[in-house]
Amino acid sequence: MASLSTNSLSFRAPSIQSSRFSQVLRKPSSFQAISFGSFQSLKSLRLQISCAAKPETVQKVSDIVKEQLALSADTALTAESKFSALGADSLDTVEIVMALEEKFNISVEETDAQNITTIQEAADLIEDLVQKKPAA
Amino acid sequence: MRISVMSQMQQRSFSIDLPSLVPLQLPSRRETHLWYILPDEVKSTSLLNRYSQLLSPNERDRVDQMRGDELKKNALLARTLVRTTIARYQTNNAVDPGSLMFKKNMYGKPEVDWQNCKDCNKQPLHFNISHTGSLIACGVTVHAPIGIDVEDKERKIKHDVLTFAKRFYTADEVNFLATKPDQEAQRKEFIKLWTLKEAYVKALGKGFSASPFNTFTIQSTPGTEGGYSLCKTSELTANPMEETEKYNGGWKFTLLELADSHYAAVCIEDDEVNEGGPMKVIVRRTIPLVEDQLISERIFL
Repeated sequence: MASLSTNSLSFRAPSIQSSRFSQVLRKPSSFQAISFGSFQSLKSLRLQISCAAKPETVQKVSDIVKEQLALSADTALTAESKFSALGADSLDTVEIVMALEEKFNISVEETDAQNITTIQEAADLIEDLVQKKPAA
Repeated sequence: MRISVMSQMQQRSFSIDLPSLVPLQLPSRRETHLWYILPDEVKSTSLLNRYSQLLSPNERDRVDQMRGDELKKNALLARTLVRTTIARYQTNNAVDPGSLMFKKNMYGKPEVDWQNCKDCNKQPLHFNISHTGSLIACGVTVHAPIGIDVEDKERKIKHDVLTFAKRFYTADEVNFLATKPDQEAQRKEFIKLWTLKEAYVKALGKGFSASPFNTFTIQSTPGTEGGYSLCKTSELTANPMEETEKYNGGWKFTLLELADSHYAAVCIEDDEVNEGGPMKVIVRRTIPLVEDQLISERIFL
């Protein structure tokens, strides 16, 4: 069923890296406006591509963080929210990572786990790992 | 053993101007000084404002970034504890705690920047702080890198403790936890191990990547109360229990309880002079600029 091709994984969107390059190549006029060093201009093309993780992933991470740190449901969290500013210590961070592993069915290296400092970083790492998962 | 000390050292009242801090004698080579604040004991807004004046602009910014009043207060107290404590060890002149400068080593561990502090004499002081929501601690030594970690004894772990340990601790430690009679006992021992392992990594000062938790085992030293030792497991062994390299060289560990509510682990580098010798830990509770209370002096073999 799924073993031979990477497309067999149920991604909700095309993988970020391939869509970035394929979409850019299809729009030669805007290609000139883009330098590979600056991705801000890509947002104006309204493409679902960027260095950052998807909003749904960020949302899921936020929910798990709120639960682990026992924050009230109306605490406003953004992708930039820092774990330490929310009162998370290293044990909290590791517990958050374990919860994320369970939620997304991924496996995080301990050193990567300890280096996550914001919701954005967690979401980016998750998407990176989900993408790299071998075919089932 | 609780000893209250109302000695000639104390100045209980504080005047309008910043009072001179009561000086402290440096720890001796075999001593660790452990200071802690209980945030619930610090309620006065004017006192907190005074503390705020001691911080650098960067520190104040970081305090402001904390989400919520309680977190802001604790962040403020942590920086205040570090600055006032270190300033008090300046034996020659009264040093304004606000004039201390701090820097980070290349791995991010905070240190005193003596060179950029005017009026400071360089002291061979090492320090490390740790805090939870209800206790903030600072450990100070002379000549020996130090790491400390404190945890609420009642802290709940959301995951199954053994699953957590299998993921992050060594096989020896997992086996130790598995021998505990019930989940509560397992949770307690897990927390104790966490503080000891954290204290070690912080003492090393090279960041977590240099010493992942599953590359070293900490176990209690038989015949001691609160003494622990370190065994490094080689990452290459298939069976860590058989090929454990007994490497206690260089690091002393102690585990204490503070205020009946917290475990505190202290890890210091053994120096050649004192190698294998006993470690004395002097614990004091404090409210900076207000009072100190000697809590205990204990020798750990």
